[in-house]
Amino acid sequence: MDGVIIVGGGPAGSAMGSYLSMAGIPNIILESANHPRPHVGESMVTSSTRVFKEIGFLETMEREGFIHKFGASWHAPNGKEFAIEFAEFPQQGIDQDYTYHVDRSKFDLLMLKHAEKLGSKVYQGVHVKNILFEGDQAVGVRVKIADVETEMFAPVIVDATGRGTLIGNQLKTKKKDTYFNQYAVHAWFENVQRGNGHTADFIHIYFLEVERGWVWQIPITDEITSMGVVADKNVLRGDHADIESFFYKHLSTNPDLVSAMADARRINEFKTEGDYSYSLEKFVGNGFLCIGDAARFVDPIFSSGVSVALYSAKYASMEIKRAFELKDFSAEIFQPYEDKVRSGVSVWYEFIRLYYKLLPLFTHFIQSKKHRLEVLRLLQGEVYERGEVPVLDAMRQYIKAVEASDSHILKDRLTGVPID
Amino acid sequence: MDRKSVLTDYIKKEILRNDRAKISDDQDLLSDGILDSLGILQLVAYISETFGIEIPDQDVVYENFHSITALDTYLSQ
Repeated sequence: MDGVIIVGGGPAGSAMGSYLSMAGIPNIILESANHPRPHVGESMVTSSTRVFKEIGFLETMEREGFIHKFGASWHAPNGKEFAIEFAEFPQQGIDQDYTYHVDRSKFDLLMLKHAEKLGSKVYQGVHVKNILFEGDQAVGVRVKIADVETEMFAPVIVDATGRGTLIGNQLKTKKKDTYFNQYAVHAWFENVQRGNGHTADFIHIYFLEVERGWVWQIPITDEITSMGVVADKNVLRGDHADIESFFYKHLSTNPDLVSAMADARRINEFKTEGDYSYSLEKFVGNGFLCIGDAARFVDPIFSSGVSVALYSAKYASMEIKRAFELKDFSAEIFQPYEDKVRSGVSVWYEFIRLYYKLLPLFTHFIQSKKHRLEVLRLLQGEVYERGEVPVLDAMRQYIKAVEASDSHILKDRLTGVPID
Repeated sequence: MDRKSVLTDYIKKEILRNDRAKISDDQDLLSDGILDSLGILQLVAYISETFGIEIPDQDVVYENFHSITALDTYLSQ
């Protein structure tokens, strides 16, 4: 076909299909699962709204009644809680002061249907075995449908396979993060006491006393709440426990969490997620681009995942459009996409590293008049086309001052996370 | 209100969240569990907003925060 083959029908693939169809570029989406299917990553950041608006999907988000997320709340182990509200930092081009929590099986299906409505040809239950290359030029894919293998060809292949990282694995360009090796155990519950008043539907993050340990509380419907324990994989290994005992053991260490879960009843199986944080050496090559988690994945503490998927689809589609205009499908044409998204996700990554390096500092910055709005800007997903990010420099300076001092009150709170 | 009373008031209301708590000027705020590291950071932000005094990062040490009197002396420098 004279168009684009998109491998993967999650939010990245569906957003890509939508943008391409709007630009008049024929595209097909090959999805290995049959939607709806469950997926982790249920909370969003406000910057996603821009993409929903651009592809005409915002009406669907509203119509389907996804829970509105107006802010975020953190719970320290000593029971102190502090919260932020998105209303405090309005964003250009976004008219609502909330984003969404979603049931991903429903959200991903709706996005895929939306892409189809805009013109993508969608095939589900199609397993892409590998990308076909002529020399170093990607030219197509080998697919397996039921027991039949066949080949499909197109001038541009988009890898939107998520953490499956089809191209990263095939070309061996996937580099695991040397430090972050997080692990998550999560499930859905009924009867979680989400809190009182207007913060009840915020995302709640509970700090745990173990290395980079925290718990998410994400409302999925009025009745259902997603709960997940995240910690360094060594914490789980050290516990020598099955995942259920691991989950409940850590849940019991934060008093706010204990009261939230007092009457909770689990309604689905525990699921686990591993292999956190990696990057491909190259997001693009001749004839191909990798987007969303297929390019880079960072720790989910700030709910950045879906936003990165959507923005990488947006920026990649711009360069694909240019490639079709110029009839040039070389890596050089796609490179501006990689530069933009790599530096954007690096901002997330830096923020995550500094956060884990000295947890009380984040609390301090969020409460300080001087830094608060700049931290909100990051938390709300404004990471692209930024150049300098002064608030990250300020965090780094602060950490250096603590490291250099013998008696700073936060000295014993520094972790081993490398920040240089 | 003098600065010591303003500081004491803030610690009672915003950090301990207990108006009726008793804090004397020379009481050890740290070993008595009144201030932890997060509480001190809260206080640093409050001092900057209320008195316009920016406490440099390297001065956020226990010696300067161990009592209301110590803090007041530090802020007078």
